Amino acid sequence: MSFIAAELIDSTFGTVDRRIFWDLDIYNLELERVFGRSWLFVAHESQVQEVGSFVTTYMAEDAVIVSRGADGINVFLNSCPHRGNRVCFADSGQGRQFTCNYHGWAFGLDGTLKKMPKMGLYKSTPGFRMEDWGLKCARVESYKGLVFATFCQEAPSLADWLGDFRWYLDAVLDVEEGGTEFLPGGATRSVMKCNWKFPADNFAGDIYHALWTHLGGSEPTLGRHGGVKVDNEGSYQVSVNGHGWEFNDSFLGNAATIGDRELLRYMRSREAAITSRLGKFRARMWGSVASATVFPNFSFLPGYFTFRTFQPKGPLHTEISAWTLVPKGMPDDIKDRLRRGSMRTFSPSGLLEMDDGENWEHSTTANAGWVTRNQRLCYAMAPDAGPAPEGLPGTVTAGQLSDANQRHFYRRWAEMMDADSWDSITLDRTRHNLSDAE
Amino acid sequence: MSPPNAKPDYATYPSLTSAQARDAAIQLLSMGGEGRDVDNDVLRRIERFYNREARLLDNECHEEWYKLLADDLFYWMPLRENRFRRDKRPEYAPENMALFDECKADIAVRIGRLTSKLAWTEDPPTRHVYVVSNIEAFLTPIEGEFEVHSTFIQYRNRSEHDDATLFGRRRDLLRVNEDAFLIARRMIELPQSVLLTKNLTAFF
Repeated sequence: MSFIAAELIDSTFGTVDRRIFWDLDIYNLELERVFGRSWLFVAHESQVQEVGSFVTTYMAEDAVIVSRGADGINVFLNSCPHRGNRVCFADSGQGRQFTCNYHGWAFGLDGTLKKMPKMGLYKSTPGFRMEDWGLKCARVESYKGLVFATFCQEAPSLADWLGDFRWYLDAVLDVEEGGTEFLPGGATRSVMKCNWKFPADNFAGDIYHALWTHLGGSEPTLGRHGGVKVDNEGSYQVSVNGHGWEFNDSFLGNAATIGDRELLRYMRSREAAITSRLGKFRARMWGSVASATVFPNFSFLPGYFTFRTFQPKGPLHTEISAWTLVPKGMPDDIKDRLRRGSMRTFSPSGLLEMDDGENWEHSTTANAGWVTRNQRLCYAMAPDAGPAPEGLPGTVTAGQLSDANQRHFYRRWAEMMDADSWDSITLDRTRHNLSDAE
Repeated sequence: MSPPNAKPDYATYPSLTSAQARDAAIQLLSMGGEGRDVDNDVLRRIERFYNREARLLDNECHEEWYKLLADDLFYWMPLRENRFRRDKRPEYAPENMALFDECKADIAVRIGRLTSKLAWTEDPPTRHVYVVSNIEAFLTPIEGEFEVHSTFIQYRNRSEHDDATLFGRRRDLLRVNEDAFLIARRMIELPQSVLLTKNLTAFF
């Protein structure tokens, strides 16, 4: 089967061929051309603080180890180059080396091959060099605590990949001195029988679904939509390089639906300080009605502060890992309230998340029907919400109720799918001087 | 009398402070089945109580089930993580992320969703079967409070091909209440580190 991805996506009016949600050939090309070329989120620095601490995770279907060595954070494949076995079976821990269970090949914290049983057998093997057989290493770069990796040598820097999106990311990553951390205890992990792009495009720009999907999770407890205003007044979508953030200026709209008055009291007490740090516009984004996706599959929700990856497991399955991100300086009691608050809203047992999975699963499985799969999906919503505000980084549209970000998401997706190499992929020009204060 | 469409003020429902929840978690972690066995009569009554509880949940009698919960309820499903045996960190800790970490008011909110007629994913309803087994009950230093360990299977089926089977272990502190019991503490241990289904919409 052959295809041209640009023909599967109409990112001008906004239609998407359903084939991209079920076709195995398209999926395999996604692994190579989308995930294989992108900077992918792998960990928060707080998860690997001491030398020897590690977590294991995935970059799409590739299992990787994120390890703190003497020289910094390393990311390498969790697969022994000898016979291919998985090397580390723990989700997190501390150690001096990683030893494969199969033949005992042992690797250092930087992934290099250190030793194996009966090393003499190799010492007398012509042409065998230890340095050729380490765990394959990825490029690693961080932005304000978030660690990203890519195995693509041609990819631009993480700074270029995130581009002007960094200016917005600071609204959750840089609200005070001292940075952020993930709350302890690991990730909540779960599986869904859906294509990974449904949750990713949802977080990039679909607040529209919340008005209906999440009525049951919010209206009985907090009034309609959690008592929170969702409309196209004072709300926006911004897209940079396919990353998308839809948000309004409510400051605490998302956080309010957690229903914890002490948490809200604390967050309100922070507004002046965050405003003087980031300016009013970004300060109002901290806990507002919002969702975001860093292309392709790393998403988060301001206010609940759940950060998650949607890892593909074949075209029809997705695995979700979710963590809660907080400013390190937040009082312990407030961290604990956010821990419980994010769990009760956006975890597998969360009152809001539990309504999403069903939708994404059936959006995926319906495509088993041949007639069904040949009908395009509608991503056309483009209401006239007035002119976009001037001077903001990225491609901004007024009104958060819109499919604008999702069209940008799929435009980026198609561009990467059709490109033979990074040479024919064009990133948005980074315009904003990040050191500028507002 | 409140107007018919008034939202319940869940902030007034029975709740625990963070410190109380933490103490309750520590108490649950200390319950290792080391007390003296209860007598057969009490054991039979506990079995009867669990069978009734399972039937109430199977039949979506959430309001009735809610009455089985003590006002100082702590209801906890900690996360599971794959750790090496040499790892010194305790797998369960009160400050760790969890799948349930609830007091009675939180349970009321969940029942509010289920009974709202607005939870589209529960309409048509999900069908559940709970099986409770391996019940062991022990005396505690407090008269009328029993430490009870059990295992469960929770099967759910909805729509056509959508089902999940969860196995687990429960650790309860039951308190005598008239001729039955109240659930004062419950810790639910699922053996899955990756939850192999999309969500947890029901109670355990």
